[in-house]
This record gives sequence, C-alpha cells and structure tokens, in this order.
Amino acid sequence: MIVDIVQTLLNGLAAGAAYALLGVGFTMMFGVMRRLNLSYGATLMFGGYLGALLASRAGGALPDAALVLLAAAVTVAGATLAGLYVERLCFAPLRGRSGVAAMVSSFAVWMQIEEFSTWLLPLHTNPYPAPFNVASWQLGALTLRPEHLLTLLVAVLVAILLHRLLRASRFGLAVRTLSDSPAAAQAVGIDAGRTTLLAFLAASTVGGIGAWLVLVADQQVTPMFGMWSMAKGLIAMMLGGLGSIPGAVAGGLLLGVLEASGQALFGPQIRELIAWGALFLVLVLRPGGLFGRAAFDLDIAAHQRL
Amino acid sequence: MSDFAVGLISNIGMITFVALSAYLLLVSGSISFGQQAYFGLGAYAAGIATTLWDWPLALGLAFGALTGALGGGLVGALTRRLHGLYFAIATLAFAEMTRLALDLWRYQRPIGGELVGPDGPNGFAGIRRAFTDGWEPLSFMILIWVLLAGTMLVLILFERSRSGAALRGAGEDPVLARALGTDVARLRVNTAAAAGAIAGLGGGLYAHLNTYIEPRLFDVMLGVHALAYGIIGGLGTAFGPLIGVLIDIGILESSRLFQGWRMVVFGGLVALLLIWRPRGLLDEATVRRLRRLFTTPARHA
Amino acid sequence: MLDVKDVVTAYGKIEALKGVSLSVEPGSITCLLGPNGAGKTTLMYTIAGILRPRRGSVRFGGDELVGQSADRVVNRGIALVPENRLVFPQMSVTENLAAGAYLRHDHGEIASDLEKLFARFPALKERRSQPAGTLSGGEQQMLAVARALMSRPKLLMMDEPSMGLAPLVVEEIFRIVGELNRDGITIFMVEQNAHMALKVAHKFFLMEQGKVTFAGAPGEVAQDEVIRRAYLGSAKAT
Repeated sequence: MIVDIVQTLLNGLAAGAAYALLGVGFTMMFGVMRRLNLSYGATLMFGGYLGALLASRAGGALPDAALVLLAAAVTVAGATLAGLYVERLCFAPLRGRSGVAAMVSSFAVWMQIEEFSTWLLPLHTNPYPAPFNVASWQLGALTLRPEHLLTLLVAVLVAILLHRLLRASRFGLAVRTLSDSPAAAQAVGIDAGRTTLLAFLAASTVGGIGAWLVLVADQQVTPMFGMWSMAKGLIAMMLGGLGSIPGAVAGGLLLGVLEASGQALFGPQIRELIAWGALFLVLVLRPGGLFGRAAFDLDIAAHQRL
Repeated sequence: MSDFAVGLISNIGMITFVALSAYLLLVSGSISFGQQAYFGLGAYAAGIATTLWDWPLALGLAFGALTGALGGGLVGALTRRLHGLYFAIATLAFAEMTRLALDLWRYQRPIGGELVGPDGPNGFAGIRRAFTDGWEPLSFMILIWVLLAGTMLVLILFERSRSGAALRGAGEDPVLARALGTDVARLRVNTAAAAGAIAGLGGGLYAHLNTYIEPRLFDVMLGVHALAYGIIGGLGTAFGPLIGVLIDIGILESSRLFQGWRMVVFGGLVALLLIWRPRGLLDEATVRRLRRLFTTPARHA
Repeated sequence: MLDVKDVVTAYGKIEALKGVSLSVEPGSITCLLGPNGAGKTTLMYTIAGILRPRRGSVRFGGDELVGQSADRVVNRGIALVPENRLVFPQMSVTENLAAGAYLRHDHGEIASDLEKLFARFPALKERRSQPAGTLSGGEQQMLAVARALMSRPKLLMMDEPSMGLAPLVVEEIFRIVGELNRDGITIFMVEQNAHMALKVAHKFFLMEQGKVTFAGAPGEVAQDEVIRRAYLGSAKAT
C-alpha cells in the first residue's frame, strides 16, 4: 500500500518534471509579452519531428549514443528555430498593439507548422531515438525507470541554470524587469523588442528540452504531440499562476502527481479529465493560481485586456 | 446543384454558427476557446431528443439550442469574475472536460433491433430524424441557411439596439460601462448563454445532417478556428465570421488549390493579414465607412 | 541643454501635442504646469524616446533625440521618473536600483553609487531586500528617483512626483530635488503642486490642450492672474 503510494508519487513527479519545463517555457513567453503563444506546442512538435526525421534517415549509419545526442540537439534547436519564426511573424510586428490579433496569428502559424511537420514525416507514429536499453530497475518493491531518473535530473539541472541566468545575469535582469512592469522597463532604457526576442528563444529552448524528455520516455512522436504539449504546458502554467516561473515548476509537478494518482485510483481514461477539471476549478476558485498572488496577477490581466 | 456543392454550402453554414458564437463573445470583450463545447452539447442533445425520445426535428433543434444556452450560461456564471486570458483558458478547460466526459458517457437504447445512442469514444450513430422526415440534402441546406440568416438578422438588429451598444461598450471599457450603469456581470452571463444557444443550434443541425457525431469532432481545433474566423472576418459586423469561414472553407478548402499545403498557405496569410489589419477585414472603422457610403447619398438626394 | 521645438505627437488621429516648444537651461529646475490631459506626460514620454513624435525636434546638448530609442536617450544622460512611480513591484529594492543602472557597465562604480544612494535614502537601505511593491507610496517615489539616479543622468525628468503623497513626504521630495540640483543635476518636472514648485523652480511653463501657453520666471507666475487662480487657489499675490 505504502509502496503503491510512493510508486505513484514517483511516477507523477517524473512526468511532472517534464510538464514543469513545458510550463516554464510557456510562462516565460507570457511574462515578457503578456501574450499567449498558441503555436508553442506546434514549435515543440516541429523539434520532435526533426529528431525523428534524423533517426529515420541516419538511423543505421550512426552509433546509438551519437544518434540519441544528435536527436536531442536537433529537437531543441528545431524548437528554438521555430520559436524564432513565430516571434518574428506573430509577435514582434504586433508588439504594443492588439493582443487578440497576435494570439490568433500564432494559432494560424500553429496550423502551418503542424502541417509542415507532418509533411516531413507523413506517418502517424514515428519512432524517436531513446537512450536506454533497460526497461526498468527493481529497488525492493519499487520500479525505477531510467527515463524517469533522466527527466528528474535534467529538469533540476535546467531549473538551476535558468535560475542563475535570470538572477545573476544582465539579460536575466532585463527579462525580469519586462515581466514585472513593461512601462517601468522602458523608462530605465531596456530594449523591449530585443529582450522579448531573446527571452522567447530561451523559453523555446527550455520547452524543447521538456519536449525531448517526454519523447525519450514515449520513444515516439505523433501529430498529436503539439496539442498535447501545449495542453500540459498551459495547465502547469495556470495551476502555478500565470507568468510565475517557480509557479510553473510547482504547477507542473502538481499536475504530474494529480494525473498519476487519478490514473491509479480511477483508471487511465480519467487522467486527462482530472487535469482539465483541476485547471477549471483553480481558475474559478483561485484565478491567480495556487502559488501566485491572485490579486496581483488578476490586475495584470484586467489591465492588459487581450 | 452537385452533392459536393450542397455539402460544402451546408458545412459553411454550420461552421458559421460556431464562429458567430465566438464573435458575439468577442464583441462583449471576452475571448473564448471553448464554443465547440456548446456545439457538441447541442449536437448530442438534439440527436438524443429526436432519436431516443422520438421528438420532432424542430423541438430537437430547439432542445439542442437550449442545452447550448444552459452550458454557456453555466460557464458564464461560474467565470463571471474572470477576464481576458483567464476567461479564455477557463472556457477551454470546460470544453475539454465536456469532450472527455462525452468520451466516458454511454446512454443507449434498442431501436429497431439496434442499440442507438451515445457510446463513449465510438460516438453516436443513426441520427436519422431529418431524413426519415423527408428532408433532402438540398432542402436541409436551405433550412441551415434560413436559420443562419435568422440568427444573423437577430444579431444585427441587436447590435443596432441600445443593449447592443451597451454590450460593445462593456467590451471596450468595462469600468466605464459599469460607471454608466450597465450591469456588466449580468450582461456577460446573458451573452455567454446566447452564444451557447447559437452554437447549440448549429450543433443540432450538424448532428442531423451527418447522422453521426463523436466527441473528437468537438476538440480545441474547432473552437480556435471559430475564434480565428471571427477575427479574420472582422469585429465590426456580424457578417465578419461568415467572411472568415468563406475565406478558409469556401475558397481554400474547396478549391483544393493548395492541397496538402492549405494550412501552410492559410496560416501564413492570416499572420500577414493580422499585421496589416489587427481587427480583421471588416473592422469597426471599415464598417462605419461602408455604412456611410450607403447612407449619405440617400440623405443628399 | 534641452531644446524642444514644434513637437507634434499623436495617438492615432488625436494629436496630444500640437507643436510644443520649450527649453530647459543647464543647471536649472524647470517646472511644467498644466491641467490633466494637457499632454504633459506625452511630452515627457516623447523626450524619453518612448513615444515617437510625428514632427518636430528634441535636441539635448546639441544632439537630436527624435528617432533615437529609449535606451539611447538614457545613455545620453536623460532619466525619467515616470508618473505613478512605476517601480518593479515584485523585485527587491536593490534589484530595482540595479535595473536603473542597466545600461552601465562600470560594475565597481555601480556598487559605490548604490552605497551613496542608500546613504541619501536611508529608508531604502532598511528595506533593501524587500519587494518594492510592499513599500509605502512615499518610499516607492524615493525608489523611483533613486533608480533614475543610478543611470547617472545629467537631466532628470520627474512626472508628478508629489501625486497622491502626504504633505510631509512631498516636502521631503522637494528637499531632495533641491539637493540634487545643487549637486549639478538639471531637473525638468511636471508638477500640479505649484505652491511647492514655486519654492524651488527657476523657470515655469504652462501647457494647455497640447500647447505651451505661458513661460516665465517664478515672479511672473505669481503675477499671472490665470495661473494664480488655477494653480495657487487664491487671488492674493505673494
């Protein structure tokens, strides 16, 4: 019984660590732009498709370890590159203008990137190179899966690096001022356009790493991945409080644990329903998120009416 | 008229209902990613009414619209404190919950030796009321467009009325509207219910034309498309959503010009259009200019 | 030092500035009066490079500022203390000050400037690691001024620094304005509190409906019937 609970918690935290990275990328974009990037999931899917494409073309020619590393690099770089495209086309031209237009524009580009990706690899299921041959280890009654450990390790590492980048660098200072108060950031001479672009790219990279961790665990990528990763990132972000990076980490972990416990208790069909249900409840009861400052975040939203 | 044309024109009409539903909320200042939920609820409700309960088609469609209104009103009431993105995401969450709940829901009865009714992810087949009542695809197409024209007429008349002006005012500046004595919260709940009814009516028509529905049809894609149609067409008039649908489905999908590349082309075009006209083709200023064009000469004559 | 000539700034079709000309002498405290909606904040934002004028020229020490981005303007030596203070509410006091020095690269000097400012504003030092959003209105105003000073400006622009503050705090702010001016910083401020401004400012401009309608020294302001009625609230000459 205790073992089951610990096992469920462990599975949930591992899944949640990847959700956390998806949420952090999403929330960073929102923080600097005050805009929702609907093509976020599609850009991550594009990265995943590039990785799978590489495996399908160069699968036999490369040693497995090299293929895994190369796929990781291609996935993260692809997500970042697609992010660059989205920022330049949908958000930079409309900065300071209509937020709804920017959002709808990013939706149109979601469709575009998704179709382009499926043109690269038309099959529904595409194998994605995974690093581990062992399926799992037994530790007493607990089952440890290597990709779970990898996810936890990488997520912690990325969180530490990102924290250092945002707290201890000049770029981080610019990002935080822009997220905190765009008007004041302008007054102290921060170049909003350039900072937004760079933060957007950094966020795409973080999201790309999160996507890679998910794909390695799934060992495949499908056309549903764009929608799926956006949903997970969105729920993680909103549970924790819009625009807050620590909130997104907490929200991601909570989402992972909620899903795992829901599945353990009621079966796999209920998993997604629980995730969306939790989001709806939190929005209705505590819109600022479980960890955010409700009043403050709502102020921003009301002020920056989309 | 060819079957293809009848199907296409019917389709444009039905999708315009969802787009109008999203548009009505946009005018009131709310973004919804979730109008597909009421389209779906309307489809299921109307289908159940005519198939399992043996109601006449008209009552079934009305029941679909009512179910959509109840769903929209419920979500509107629960989220009345939410603005902007928070409202948008709450509507999305509700729509996904609805879709996933329909995936789990089974309600079947034997009719004519066959089990009929919603069957979870396998959907709901055999909604044949319209065709056993003698509707042909062509006459059903006309029915769709008559109902659509009626809905649009009501919306246009409403927009010109005082309540319509109050709605637009509340959308543009809720604080000012409140100061001028508009009960913004109530207005928003009523608008959400009306938008739900419009989507629900479209859903009922959809179920009866296709005779088969499944939860997957009512996913986020439909909702965000509906929203996008409203913006592309323009926020100035209720014709905007129809124009948005016509551009996407009417021209790009039907012409098959860019087969396999439609979304690449459409997506790029929309992004460029919105840089040029952030409030759509028929935005408020354009509509005012057009209206002047048609009214001033009469006054001078 | 600062020469604004025939500046027109518009929001869409509405011209908020309809050809504004004024100048700020080096070493002076110059005060801009005017009713709400006259375009005072728009003028400040235009000078700061945050808004782009449709026409006209803004020269600072001989350089043209129109067309320069906001960061360039800060680099030239102009700092803005925006209306409503606008601190970074979630960041600590120290981080707010660091943001003020964002465009500087002389790290050693930045650290010593920080200490100097803490000596000048002891209340900020006490709350150095507190989020700025938790400070009182007066403290936030001090922080906004200190943050602007972190860029080592030659010209400090202040947009209604006394708005919504208690009289004692307002006096404190004007005391600091005088001190900064004696240290050699030129001050250009928008102020509704003409009584306080009369005590420190050397030159006044009045803006109404997007235009400068009066310019003069403090003595002339006190003599002007219209200004006296609108801004000093009495008909009695001082």
